[in-house]
Amino acid sequence: MSLVEAFGGGLIGWASMFSLLLLLIGLAFGLIRLTIGPTLADRVVALDFITVLAVSFIAVLAVATGEPAILDVAIALALVGFLGTVAFARYAERRSLQAKAPLHSKDVQDKLQENKDDR
Amino acid sequence: MIVDIITAILMVIGSALVCIAGLGLLRMPDLIIRMHASTKAGTLGAGLVLAAVGIHFVDVAVASRAVAAILFLLLTAPVAAHMIGRAAYRTDLKLWERNIMDELRESETLRRREAEVQAQNARDAGSTSSSSAP
Amino acid sequence: MTLFMLNLMLALGWAVVTGGYSLGNLIFGFVIGYFALWVSRPLYGSSAYFGRLVAGIRLATFFLYDLVMSSIQVVWDVVTPSHKSRPGIIAVKLDAKTDLEIMLTANLISLTPGTLSLELSDDKSILYVHAMFIDDPDDIRRQVKEGMERRVLEVLR
Repeated sequence: MSLVEAFGGGLIGWASMFSLLLLLIGLAFGLIRLTIGPTLADRVVALDFITVLAVSFIAVLAVATGEPAILDVAIALALVGFLGTVAFARYAERRSLQAKAPLHSKDVQDKLQENKDDR
Repeated sequence: MIVDIITAILMVIGSALVCIAGLGLLRMPDLIIRMHASTKAGTLGAGLVLAAVGIHFVDVAVASRAVAAILFLLLTAPVAAHMIGRAAYRTDLKLWERNIMDELRESETLRRREAEVQAQNARDAGSTSSSSAP
Repeated sequence: MTLFMLNLMLALGWAVVTGGYSLGNLIFGFVIGYFALWVSRPLYGSSAYFGRLVAGIRLATFFLYDLVMSSIQVVWDVVTPSHKSRPGIIAVKLDAKTDLEIMLTANLISLTPGTLSLELSDDKSILYVHAMFIDDPDDIRRQVKEGMERRVLEVLR
């Protein structure tokens, strides 16, 4: 276990090693869901989860390497990841509405008709 | 020494929670139930790991940054889940077959929202709007 | 709100007088300032500020407890092989009126056991909540309203 020694050995070294292992397994689950996820929304959820997981990953690394400056990366990643998820959600909403027939097609057509009349 | 023990415990519990959230993401039956797993367990897990960082360095500057990161996660995770859930519900969400009730499907809100988005899309498409409503 | 500003000024004053601007010192100054304001209540009549701060702390502890419980519940449902959940979407009538109240309520609901806010009606009066374990829909409604919403309103009103 040379990695444990690289993390300074002792309790913190082992705990970091074990935590990274657990997070790696979680990452595998997330990636499988990202690959198979039947709809776009499933994939967005998987990506959102992977961002949270990466934040925890970076936090564990900050403890393992004894370098608190890495924490800034985690904060920045959380910010960007949130924006990405929101943008994705909006995109998914509009793309699939454009692509497929609406659920209540009559109402929608009425509304479209109104819209055309307005112009 | 005690600080080390607390850090180790928080870190391992947090990572385990994130890992189980991932398992939930993989094996729960429908999208929204999966979001229950990834939002709650994932947020608490990441929060615990960040708390471990805040405690480990015994330093106010690091601790306050960790607290800021935790608050930010607590604020954004439910917003993100709400956005995804809403988008999925309006488009092609298939609820689990053992779902027992759905008061949103019967409501007026959904219809009006759909009409709005559809009209917006038609407006964006400009002159081709007539072809998008067959 | 002016009392809150006054309290902040007292905290800053404490930091200036003691010459230390660390976070710990500012928080200590805030606590001392809060206590000083609390003692001098008879001078300006009672205010909602004290009750509100206590309600805020109560909301925070209640919320943290709920977050832990919900995580345990989710973990249990994930690791046991059979899914026992009976999910569904429930409409909850809101008493919260302003955007801030509704936002806070919806966010906190998403992080508490078995519920996830999904959609808000156009007139902002009904919140649609996805719940994971429904035995009785009215029970969930009551839980949401009296657990989270009441506490949020206690802090903000």
